[in-house]
Amino acid sequence: MSLVEVINVTKEYANGEESIRPLDEVSLSVEEGDFVSLMGASGSGKSTLLNLIAGIDLVTSGEIVVADTDITQLSRGKLADWRARHIGYIFQTHNLIPVLTAYENVELPLLLLPMSGAERRKRVEIAMAAVDLTSRASHYPRQMSGGQEQRVGIARAIVSNPTLVVADEPTGSLDDETTEQILQLLERVNNELGMTLLMVTHDADAGQRARRKIRLERGRLMENGKELHTAKIRTA
Amino acid sequence: MLGQKLLPWDYGVRNLFRRPSRSALTLGGLTIVVLLVLVVVGFIRGLEKSLAATGNPNVVLVYALSSAADVENSSIAGRTPALLSASVDGVRRQHGVEYVSPELYLGTRITTANMPEPGMGLVRGVTTTAPLVRGQVQLAEGTWPQSGEVMVGRLAYSKLGADEQDLAIGQQITFDGQTWTISGRFTAAGSAFESEIWAPLTELQTVLKRQDLSLVAVAMDSPDRVADVDMFCRERVDLELKAVSESAYYASLQTHYKPVRMLGWVVVALVAGSGIFAGLNTMYGAVVGRTRELATLQALGFRRRAILLTLVQEATLLACAGALIACIIGLTFVDGAAVRFTMGAFMLTVDSVGISVACGVAALLGVVGALPPAIKAMQLPVVEAIKSI
Repeated sequence: MSLVEVINVTKEYANGEESIRPLDEVSLSVEEGDFVSLMGASGSGKSTLLNLIAGIDLVTSGEIVVADTDITQLSRGKLADWRARHIGYIFQTHNLIPVLTAYENVELPLLLLPMSGAERRKRVEIAMAAVDLTSRASHYPRQMSGGQEQRVGIARAIVSNPTLVVADEPTGSLDDETTEQILQLLERVNNELGMTLLMVTHDADAGQRARRKIRLERGRLMENGKELHTAKIRTA
Repeated sequence: MLGQKLLPWDYGVRNLFRRPSRSALTLGGLTIVVLLVLVVVGFIRGLEKSLAATGNPNVVLVYALSSAADVENSSIAGRTPALLSASVDGVRRQHGVEYVSPELYLGTRITTANMPEPGMGLVRGVTTTAPLVRGQVQLAEGTWPQSGEVMVGRLAYSKLGADEQDLAIGQQITFDGQTWTISGRFTAAGSAFESEIWAPLTELQTVLKRQDLSLVAVAMDSPDRVADVDMFCRERVDLELKAVSESAYYASLQTHYKPVRMLGWVVVALVAGSGIFAGLNTMYGAVVGRTRELATLQALGFRRRAILLTLVQEATLLACAGALIACIIGLTFVDGAAVRFTMGAFMLTVDSVGISVACGVAALLGVVGALPPAIKAMQLPVVEAIKSI
């Protein structure tokens, strides 16, 4: 069984009187330890798919199974708990909490998990060290550069050792040099920490750094020029 | 488990300092609202306390049947005190002195040395038995009035609309064509007597060219004996007297002022309501500016309830700070401030009831002011909110 299985997922939403369907019965499997890039034109639905897999958006139809849990069946509250345990989210605009220090931002997801204060401290220190920001632990987001903020964002995403790390345009707002640093860091997260990574990007160079490169075209997922096969709908 | 899933307390506290000017303005607004509530409740409580403290269940007021409970309009015979003493059992007596106080009571225009226009004051002609019957009356400074002298209650200046110094001991006041020197100041445990001016009865009768009395206040051995006085008045129809226990008399005044008190509570509700709208407006502004941040917290796995609680915590903390400041201002500047009204004057009272109501209103402002904007922010889908600026 793959770590992530997207099965015949359709996402449709209304834009005024118009109905938009960015995803039309798409299917995708991601194996544990994989590094997958999801590319496509603007508005192709790649972020929508990422958000569905991360459990912050709801499918119109289909199933999404992550680590044996069909997240489309979870209530809103259960889905929030599930996200806390299984998903590390890296945002394009970092989305750090401005009133919390770098350390506190990284610690935030751990507050949702049952663990001792000592264990929490240890995990935060490891995550901060992994992104080479130990010296900036007490700094607030406004006191850091964009690249440093994104590294804190990555530390926050990996600190709880999630099942899946999702990154939505993680280099979208960074300069070339910082982009390279962040991509190297993401590669380390995948290679050294063994975390499964799903990254949405419109940057072809960034997308090439992933082991699997998937494109979303006209609501269909393509890999190596072929449409990914539609899987059978799972039955309970 | 719930505790582990809440946002850190510091997060809510630090958010208050995120936009200091906005927080300061909100705090100022909340403080004013709570202070207004405190003033109105202080007015209601002061009025209630003044009337409640005045009534003594052991004391019977005997006045003219025709006066319809308006003692100022009452006129009874000067021999009434002697008749009551001789005819009614149970009149309190100590060291050979009967606790029967003949009194002349009137509202009249009074001038002080520095007042350009005379003010309306309350004058009570009394004898030395008055403080025996009115046990709450205490001479605070000076001496009992002799001929040509009066003593003033500590709030008499407020009733007159005069400066407090105008009624200091040694100052002179003029009413009904006679100038009187102030010999003493008295307190009366917050009762209505504190807004009165007491003069020697016989001298006042002479000045007013009256031989009658307004009322006789009689202290009985126990509240049960009040009925004996009532019986006497009913039997002696020729005297045209009515007897009412002092507590019942002032209780009827409480009823008379009930609309005022009700209006006060309505004002409290209106002030609190307007405060809630102001709080809502502020919180909407505060929450709208943090839509993406709140969505991020949801994306990380914080439940809406936890985020909601944080927003309520922020608003409630601010409201409580406002309540604290308002209570300090209230206790320092509002408590004890004199207010004039038709019955005399009373002091605004910031007591435990007032503080409880003020704190309750503050908590309400915090919770009710924060909930709608917080709920609205939480209803926005995370994926949409996360993209907001």
